Amino acid sequence: MSKRKELEAKLIAHLRDDVVCVEKTDPRTIFIDVKRAGIREASKIITTAGARYLCSVGYDNIERDGTLGMIHTFALDDSDQFVCCRTSAPVGDPVIESITPDLPSAGWSEREVTDLLGLRFAGHPKPKKLVLADDWPDGIYPLRKDVPHNFVPKGAEDVAYELDEAPPGTKIVPVGPFHPSLHEPEHFAVYVDGETIKGCDYRGFMTHRGIEKLCTTQISYNEVPFIAERICGICGSVHATAFSQAVESAAGLVIPRRAEFIRTMMLEFERIHSNLLWLGVAGHLIGFDTVFMQAWRVREQIMWLCERLTGNRKTYGMILVGGVRRDITPEIADDIRRVMKNIEDDLTIIHRAIEKDTSIHKRTKGVGTITKQQALDWSLVGPVARARGVDIDARRDHPYAAYDEMKFEVPVLDSCDVWATLVIRVVETFEAIKIVRQCLDKMPGGEFFVEMKDKIPAQRHAITVVEAPRGESVHYVITGEDNRPERWRVRAPTFPNLQAVPLMLLDEQFGDFPIIMGSIDPCFSCTDRVAVVDLQTGQSSSITKAELDALSRRAQSPSHSLQTMLRG
Amino acid sequence: MWLTSKIKQILMVMKPGVVTLDYPNERPPVPANLRGQPVFDHQKCIGCGGCSDHCPARCILVRDVCQELRVMLYDGSRCTYCGRCADICPEKAITMSNSFEIACDQKEDITTRMELFMMTCQRCGRCYEMEKTNAIDRINLKGFRYDNLEQRALIRKTSETFDPALLKESDNYQRPSDKE
Repeated sequence: MSKRKELEAKLIAHLRDDVVCVEKTDPRTIFIDVKRAGIREASKIITTAGARYLCSVGYDNIERDGTLGMIHTFALDDSDQFVCCRTSAPVGDPVIESITPDLPSAGWSEREVTDLLGLRFAGHPKPKKLVLADDWPDGIYPLRKDVPHNFVPKGAEDVAYELDEAPPGTKIVPVGPFHPSLHEPEHFAVYVDGETIKGCDYRGFMTHRGIEKLCTTQISYNEVPFIAERICGICGSVHATAFSQAVESAAGLVIPRRAEFIRTMMLEFERIHSNLLWLGVAGHLIGFDTVFMQAWRVREQIMWLCERLTGNRKTYGMILVGGVRRDITPEIADDIRRVMKNIEDDLTIIHRAIEKDTSIHKRTKGVGTITKQQALDWSLVGPVARARGVDIDARRDHPYAAYDEMKFEVPVLDSCDVWATLVIRVVETFEAIKIVRQCLDKMPGGEFFVEMKDKIPAQRHAITVVEAPRGESVHYVITGEDNRPERWRVRAPTFPNLQAVPLMLLDEQFGDFPIIMGSIDPCFSCTDRVAVVDLQTGQSSSITKAELDALSRRAQSPSHSLQTMLRG
Repeated sequence: MWLTSKIKQILMVMKPGVVTLDYPNERPPVPANLRGQPVFDHQKCIGCGGCSDHCPARCILVRDVCQELRVMLYDGSRCTYCGRCADICPEKAITMSNSFEIACDQKEDITTRMELFMMTCQRCGRCYEMEKTNAIDRINLKGFRYDNLEQRALIRKTSETFDPALLKESDNYQRPSDKE
């Protein structure tokens, strides 16, 4: 009995009339429509059938039938299938039962939908704001179709996020919004008892850029990959590939095999450079800057290679819906082989020099431990999960592009700490070099781009996963009318991993905070207000948002800048 | 173990030596197909607006100030150098040059402005049969266009015939807001 029939039978046995339909169109994706009363039960049945929770997607369907839609997505890793459980709630009564009590990693997805679409979740353990700014007005939901993409709401003063209450007997140490040991702005309130961390609360999303809104209102299908690339400075091709695959899957477009090979190669280049970058950053975070300098020296070769190949060091702009933009010529293939050889040699030297270094062991072994069960509960992804004995890799479990033809190992370790993450990422770099070589050897000839003959039909749903260097990215696309997607949901790998950070930090030393945080290779950005200290009086004050706006507008006439502000 | 690791690390650092380039005194060669600053050829441009329609950064603006005069403006301060405009252009009027040292004090220094004299098609005012066969690359914004050049805002509103009212309206363009 196939997985699909098994699931259908179970759902109908338990939920009876609540199951509306089980779609049979796409062999890889199982779309299940349930009435909203049965959504929590349905998600329980799907997870007991062995599915792993991915993310939730909310969408605006008000114009069509006056409802807000909600999709919980799951992956069946054994049988290479996805389960999308769809439901909806009328806009007048937008409440759906929360699945977070059963699946803790759904917490952020649901909070995001509440912020952006106004769909509320009954029984959510922490129904706080997540994505929107603290002073965003109530009752305006930016992802709804009636809100324009460039809408500027009126700001409010003196609104602040209420942090979770500190556990008794602990002190709060704020880390961020800007902190020297973290390379992007974000805000953690860490609750410490002496040097031991007893909990933490996270407030981020402060520079939420609204990319999904922009791409569903302003630009057309083939421009989205270029914006998708800018979601992340490190795994750009991952997002562009995932989006393109989702659109191709929705449109039923088959791209040439050569394009799939080139995409695979671009993804592996990105993995090599990202893993080297992360190795350097990890070294830097534990105060071992030799590793930082050397790893980045080796990494520079791949940046130059990509510049020769694609015309840019990063944001390659190689991927389009329908294939890739540039071909691999025999000359560039020789160039790639030469660079791969250099990187392999250099990385071997670095690997040998640090693998037995006791100072690295002391800083990373036994640090940031969580058990395999916890990693599964919080649906961790990528090297962070593989370092906790969870054997998942989208490249092997849900092969896309040309990965079905590639032979590679997926390293899995079970020491559950930062050291295991480090080892996995170094081993994966060697594996990536192997994959690039296989791509070059096996690459078929022919076209590398195919055009769409007809318009992409509207209202098609598609989901894809792509294994980014730091974990698996999930993209969900609903196709729309005006040559652009109607809804596009991106779930980056940091989204689930960051939710488990409080758990990793629990009972660790405060000094290990940067490396634990760094071990998930977080990718976030946010901003906050600026505090100004008047040196003469020693008084500190906060610049309000209006003053900050005024300051930045006057920045072009330097004489008027901060000093005037302070004297005033 | 500690000592052997340290010796290996010293060798790892000694072998490559200093690799930092003496930029800007020493300039590494620029790759032949670098996606640098786009250059617009006003001799070739037919003013179809395809580049503007397909610019992911929406930094190429088109404004019809009257029936015969179309202003095209490229705002380099927002450009992401993806090269999408050069791909789309049916006349190959846009080339991605290899110049990349384009930091400057004035926005105007990296702005290209073209004023194109447009013949009027008796049938539809502005019509282009784009050579593009790809269904998802077609031009969405056809006809007369009224972007706001001062605010550098692309306005997704077009008309089949020249409409002075729309031109006037775009002069007063403001981002939607609930500010007083």
